[in-house]
Order: sequence, then structure tokens, then C-alpha cells
Amino acid sequence: MSYVSLKSVRKKFGAVEVLKGVYLDIGRHQFTVLLGPSGCGKSTTLRLVAGLEPVSDGQIFIDGQDVTMLEPRERDIAMVFQNYALYPTMTVEQNMGFGLKAKNVPASEIRTAVHKAADLLDITPLLARKPGALSGGQQQRVAIGRAIVRQPKLFLFDEPLSNLDAKLRVETRAEILNLHKRLNATTIYVTHDQEEAMTMADRIVIMNQGVIEQEGTPEDVFFHPASRMVAAFIGSPVMNFFDGVGTADGNIETPVGIFKGFPQVKAGQKVEIGIRPDDLLPAEPGDNTVTGQVQLSELLGVRAIIHLQTENGSAFKAVVDHEIYREMKLANDASFTVREGRLHVFDSQSGQRL
Amino acid sequence: MFSFSTRPARIAAFFAIVLALVVVLFPFVWVFLESIKPPSLGGRPDVWVFPPTGDNWNNVLFQSDVPSNILNSFFVAFATVAIALLVGCPAAYAFSRFRGYHGARYSILAAEMMPPAILILPFFLVLYHLQMIDSLAGVIAAHLSFVVPVVTWFMIGFFDEVPRDLEHQAMVDGYTRFQAFYKVILPAVRPGIGAAGVFGFVLSWNDLFYALLLTGGESRTLPVAIAGYWTFRGVDMGKMAVAILIAVIPVLILSFFIQKHLVRGIGGGAVKY
Repeated sequence: MSYVSLKSVRKKFGAVEVLKGVYLDIGRHQFTVLLGPSGCGKSTTLRLVAGLEPVSDGQIFIDGQDVTMLEPRERDIAMVFQNYALYPTMTVEQNMGFGLKAKNVPASEIRTAVHKAADLLDITPLLARKPGALSGGQQQRVAIGRAIVRQPKLFLFDEPLSNLDAKLRVETRAEILNLHKRLNATTIYVTHDQEEAMTMADRIVIMNQGVIEQEGTPEDVFFHPASRMVAAFIGSPVMNFFDGVGTADGNIETPVGIFKGFPQVKAGQKVEIGIRPDDLLPAEPGDNTVTGQVQLSELLGVRAIIHLQTENGSAFKAVVDHEIYREMKLANDASFTVREGRLHVFDSQSGQRL
Repeated sequence: MFSFSTRPARIAAFFAIVLALVVVLFPFVWVFLESIKPPSLGGRPDVWVFPPTGDNWNNVLFQSDVPSNILNSFFVAFATVAIALLVGCPAAYAFSRFRGYHGARYSILAAEMMPPAILILPFFLVLYHLQMIDSLAGVIAAHLSFVVPVVTWFMIGFFDEVPRDLEHQAMVDGYTRFQAFYKVILPAVRPGIGAAGVFGFVLSWNDLFYALLLTGGESRTLPVAIAGYWTFRGVDMGKMAVAILIAVIPVLILSFFIQKHLVRGIGGGAVKY
């Protein structure tokens, strides 16, 4: 039984349709990440769930109740905004207790709840300060603290880490996850950072141009991308793509070579094959291999990214171990085979996985 | 940044400032001298040396209607500002959050573009039929016609600087939009409210045109009283100078406190920081 449910939700801003009929089911206690490029509708989806924007069409349910027409304050949710949205005139303690005050909770209980949340987040020494006197990371913690004090049905995060520097982002990421495990609250988290999505999510929902492209566990979307868009969006370095055409005997002919054993591809069908740089293994030239001239290599430590170019000029990347990196010489040719079962085929027209 | 680094440049800058100060401050000095001149020398700007007298101050402060005119002016200015803020703040908030045609906010300035002479006749007729000529309420109504647009325009700029997420946060936290407005957004623009209030106060305080035509007798405001020293027998310069100085004092004090916010407010919605 799903806890949060969107049924055929549409959203128009003037003539522009930002969400084109979104169906989404989120289970209780799940950490769901909405992921996608900017303008894909992920933040709009979150704001519709929060009730900050009215839906143009469709229904939203939270905990079995149709909340489509309810005001934000009637939905029992907490939200953490990208810019933290701390009340500038209130102290940290007042900020955190403001939501409970709305429910007419007695002052002593508010105090207890705020101090408990502050302890959890290590911000007790900051309680008397105003937001202006806090660093970005501290403001972030206060914003999270304000959300958990409420003990709402649902947590919404709108790109909460994008204003933090890289190191703090990784730390806070882990902290939010720990917090999620402790509180076991249902969470919807919006980000455009695929690494954040992969590391944090129970389920990832990838959106593009107002529709859901794919929904699944991080493993699902990484190893079985449902479309070329998902394949290109998830993973770093980005997946390599080559144009190809299906042949009568179930192979794919590409400018970089022939790939055998794809009965699902029809003769003459235009396709794109996708191979992750990590799935390319050094091999002798032959069928099912890609050969290119080494253009550039970047050593990251244990592993290295090799930039190559095929004879016909298409560029691709391979991630190799340190030992192999040392053997690769600039301007030399190198051949790679594809790890078993890791070659993805997409229809050129629809972009769907074949 | 531009700086005066050479010695001749610094000297030139110094004299430029002195010149500007003389031009600006001379009238004040002159008015002050007039206020302590003996009545026999009144209206003689060429006389600079004379035995000072307190007669004018004594007369204006203790034997004239000026103190009650001051009270009238204070009452009118306070009431005008209070009503203007009550109307202008919600209006400015609405303009700031309005997502349609951005130029809509400029329509609020349309009222400021009309010369007051256009409004005075309708005002006079309406107030006459309501039997509110010669009443402070009538002056307040007239002053609102130019103070409300100014206060609204002022506040739009301040509301624009408050992120929408702040009220959204309050709405998620369990408050209505109106509660979010007065519990979260209004406190966040307190400096703006102060500046707009002072600015509106000064506008109302300084108005002569409406007050002269709509009041008389008991309800006269200070600027009308000042003008009253210009009689058919000539200008009673000494007493007028005293009244002028009294009128300037609150404006000076208030402007000093809000000068920082004043520039920001006048920039209004047009300038982003």
C-alpha cells in the first residue's frame, strides 16, 4: 500500500505544461529521490505534494487521504528548502519551534522537542542565535532540525545540499541518511546530482520534460536504464554511445565494429548502443570490441580515465586500472571488449531500451 | 573606486564641499537670524549686526495658535502614516508576489504623476458635501492620496527582497498565507516599514497645498500657520522664521535616522541588490 500517491498529476504554468500526467507511488518509510535535469519538473512535483502550487489536473494522496485541495498547513508535511528559508527575525530556537506553535503545543513541550532535535543535530549551542550569525552548514542543520521537530507524516527536501561546498555536502548527505534511518520517516528528496541520488535513495525517480522516465532502485536505473536519457544521465563518466543498424542475422552494425547477439533488434532498425566506460575491458581487436586511438589519459589514483577516438572520429572513454593505464601510450591504438551483459541498446527514434 | 589621491585634488574637493554646504545651509542660517531680529528690522536681509531678541520665539510659542497647529500637524501626519501603512503594506506584498504583468506595479505611481491641482477640486466638493471641510479627517484623506502610493512603492522593493520560500516555509509549518504575511514577512521588512513610515510622515507634515485649501481656523496645520504670517499688511518675517525652524526640526531628526533605508526604498522595485 503506497503512502504517497500521485495520480495523473498535471501542472501548467500559462500555456507551458510542466508536468504531463505523472503517476507515482511512494511506500511508507521510503527515501525516494526525484532526479532529473533542471526544468524536468521535479521541484514542481515536490511543490505540488507540499501544496504550494495547485495542481492543474489529477489527484494527490498522502496516507490514504486525498490532499489535492488541502492547504499546505493541512497536509502535515515538513519541507527543507534549497536556501534554508530560516525566519531571519527569530532565533534558532524560535525557528525550530515555530511549527509546533502553530499547533498550539504548550511552550514547555515545544522547548523539550526543540532541545531533543537540537541534540540530535549537535546544534544546541546555536539555539540562542539568529540565522544571520550562522554559517551555511549550520543554517542547513537548523532547517533540518526545524523539519524533524514537527514529526510530520512526510519530509520533503528541495535540493537541500546544493548551496554547500563539496566536502560539507558529502558529510551532510551521510547525516541526512542516518537521520532517515533513525526517524524512519517517509521522505521525498529532489536533486539534480546523480551521485546524491545513487547514494541516498531507496528508490530513484528519474524525470525528464515533465514525465517520469524511470523509477526503480539505484541498481535498476544504473544497470538497466529504461531509456537513453536515463543511461546518459546516470553514471560518471558518462556512458559512451555509438550509432548502429540492426542486421538480418540479429547483429548490430556500427562504424566501430559489429556487435553480435541482439535478436530483439530488427533488420534495418536504427539503434544506439551504450557502454559505460567502466564496462570496457582491454582485449584483442575482433567482434564485439571497440578500438580507438588514445588521445588523453587522466589518472585519478587507482583508476584512470582514458579518452579515445575511433577511426571514424567518434570519441569515447574507458575507465581502466592503474596497471593498464601505464601500458597505454598516447597515439597508440587500444581495443576493448564489453563486460558480459553490459551493452545497452536503445531505439534511435524513441530512445527506449530494446 | 574613485578617490582624491593628489593634494590639489583633495583641496579642490574640500572647497567643492564647502561651497555646497554654504549654498544648502545659508537659508537656515538666514532664517535663524531673522527669528532673533528685532521686529523693527524685520524683512531687512542686508542688516547683519543687531541686538538679538527673544520676542519672536516668545510670541510664537506662548501667545499664538502655533502650538495647537503643531499638534494638528502631528495628528494628521501620524494618522496618515498609520492608515497608509495599513493599506500600503498588504498592497505592496501583493504587487511583489503578483506573477502576471510586471509593469502592474508601476501603475501605483500613476497617482503621483498627476499634479495635485487636478485632485483638489473633487476633494473640495466631496468634503464640502460631507461637511468635512475644515476638519482634520478631510486633510488626512487628501494626504492619503499621495502618501499611500509612495508607501506602497517603497514597500514593494523591500518585499521583493524577501524570498518567497520564507512564506512557503511558514505555510508548510502550519500557518495560513495571511498569518505567514504578518508573522514572518512583515517582521522581515521592519526597516522598510520604518523608512516608509518616516517618509510618509515627512510628506504629510510638509504639505501646504491641500491643508491650505481644506482647513481653516481650528484645524489649521503648521505649514498653513506659517503661510498665515504672510498677511495683507506684509510678511511678519520674525515670527514666520520661528515657525519655519520648528517645522524643520522633526524632519531633520527623522531623516537622520532613516537616511540609509531611504535610498533603498526610493529605488523601489526597479533596483535589485
